[in-house]
Amino acid sequence: METSDLKHHYSQQFNAELEEIRSRVLGMGGLVERQLEMAIMALNDKEPEAAESVVSNDAMVNDCDIDIDERCTTILALRQPTASDLRLVLAVIKTTADLERIGDEAKRVARVAIPAEAGDHGRNLLAQVAHLGEQVQRVLHRALDAFARMDVEAAIDVIREDVDIDSEYQSVMHECTAHMMENPHSIPRMMDLVWAARALERIGDRCCNISEYVIYFVEGKDVRHISPDLIKKALGD
Amino acid sequence: MNPRSGWIQEFWRIVVLIAIAWAAGSILDQVYLFLLLALLAYSFRNLYNLRRLSNWLGNPQFSDIPIHFGLWGDIYSTIARVSLRQSEREKRLTALLNEYTASTSALPDGAVALDSRRRIRWFNEAASRLLGLQPAKDVGQPLLNLFRNPEMVEFIRRADYADTLEISAPGNVDRKLEVRLAPYGDEQILLLAQDITERLRHERMRKDFVANVSHELRTPLTVIGGFIENLQVSEGQADGRLKRPLVVMAQQTARMRQIVEDLLLLARLESDSARTAKKEIDMAWMVGAVTLECRTLGVDVPSIEGKSSSTRRVIGDEKQLRSVVTNLVVNAVNHTPTEGMVTVKWRDQGEESLLEVIDTGEGIGPEHIPRLTERFYRVDAGRSRERGGTGLGLAIVKHILQHHDSRLEIQSRLGEGSRFVCRFVSSRLVD
Repeated sequence: METSDLKHHYSQQFNAELEEIRSRVLGMGGLVERQLEMAIMALNDKEPEAAESVVSNDAMVNDCDIDIDERCTTILALRQPTASDLRLVLAVIKTTADLERIGDEAKRVARVAIPAEAGDHGRNLLAQVAHLGEQVQRVLHRALDAFARMDVEAAIDVIREDVDIDSEYQSVMHECTAHMMENPHSIPRMMDLVWAARALERIGDRCCNISEYVIYFVEGKDVRHISPDLIKKALGD
Repeated sequence: MNPRSGWIQEFWRIVVLIAIAWAAGSILDQVYLFLLLALLAYSFRNLYNLRRLSNWLGNPQFSDIPIHFGLWGDIYSTIARVSLRQSEREKRLTALLNEYTASTSALPDGAVALDSRRRIRWFNEAASRLLGLQPAKDVGQPLLNLFRNPEMVEFIRRADYADTLEISAPGNVDRKLEVRLAPYGDEQILLLAQDITERLRHERMRKDFVANVSHELRTPLTVIGGFIENLQVSEGQADGRLKRPLVVMAQQTARMRQIVEDLLLLARLESDSARTAKKEIDMAWMVGAVTLECRTLGVDVPSIEGKSSSTRRVIGDEKQLRSVVTNLVVNAVNHTPTEGMVTVKWRDQGEESLLEVIDTGEGIGPEHIPRLTERFYRVDAGRSRERGGTGLGLAIVKHILQHHDSRLEIQSRLGEGSRFVCRFVSSRLVD
């Protein structure tokens, strides 16, 4: 399977088109990774200008989304792909949609970071959210690596890691609630943080989706909405 | 063995065989039958030998050659010789290849060979460590699928072989890499990645150290300076003997304070590059102000002239730009004799605008010019110190200009004078 699958066509042109959409998705992934990195940097308050650049660069991510969708439509219409080619095109379309949403979530995180400069409520919590962000950043990177290599094992690892992100998210939530109960006047600021944490947790989920598309492409099995252990079992038979 | 001898043997063997068959046949009056039998026997022998050869070739044992003489012996020995040579060459090549692979994997820098479509052809051990590539799995994969950073994508697309790129390692934000490209073969590229995390850390440590030391020296110097001033006031009238040392002490303290201030300014300039103020600065006015100020520096000052033909304004930091003009003019004044001339110009050159400081001083030797903007670099150590220079002025000028996307050019000829040019790019100018 893997990449060799893309080289079995007599039509060189078709091969090139399939390679191209895959590379474009990963290019878009790189852009989204950068957006998330900048958003988290802004949260860490290292670079206040980073937040603004995230908001303004989101248009580039959206352009990629439209461009890749158009290419996929053309391939579906002209080549009528079957089997693994069809699965690749479907996986690309879905991954693109998820990446676009991850870009939106990164923008949301950055928006929270813009007013973060002023207030100093819950510095500690901010650091915790940023830590969650770094974890999510790693997962996104590994999900895209799995997509580049069409590596099922790595994809399953990503899905497993999402469990850690969820528990980290829960603990951030608890702390936020506790903080809000102690200082009611900090609620508006805390709400921002809750939103940022929520956005990061959603990014984690979308990374899982991308991993599931990888498994779908390689194994031809739909493993959505089942736990990682069951996925292993499903792939075993 | 002479290959001809086998042929000759074989030829004589056939001749003898035919002769015997013919003789026997003519005795028994069955010439054709005997000739036929002889030829059949000969063919069967060859067929049998061919089969032995093909069996032997399936698993050739050079110690166990079936036939040693005649044409067949020749064939066997030739095959043995050729394949022996082949296996020796193979051994040599394998050894060479192993050595090559071992030496490239010993390289501390990551190396990745890319084909014309930027797919990975080969990479060494350091590359898999630094860039997170997986041996065997990632060969044939387009590099940019794994190294997705937008700056990297742009860098590879541009393929500027003189340029380097500083970038975080994929999947590890804390590790910094310096990437460069080198072309080879047919449109292929070798990508080299060096781990510069340590180097950057050292650089930062050095900068922090200088900034901290300068900061710590500031307070004691202020205290010492204050006491010296006090002493000068109180001792001035009383004891003539202390007067001279106190003056020198006051001068030297002032100089040290200036150095500390300059070092702190440099540290600040180096650290926060993004945060320069962005105001419109009237350079023509500033040239006028600074020239006026410098005329009052002392009695032995050369004549200073300000000429502004441009009305363009520079977008930047007023304090910093003033420091550029002052530094350059004071430098020029210090190196120009009293009867000489210093000219300051603010003029346009096409899209760009130039701030020029031209003097008729002693000039600078060409070997010094590239090093002038280094910290504490002095062309003539004794002299400039006498004049109260800190040795940091041009370093500060260079850094400030970098902050304004501009650069410093220095032209000079010994005995004729020097020309310092600050070239401001159009994006930093407003009409």
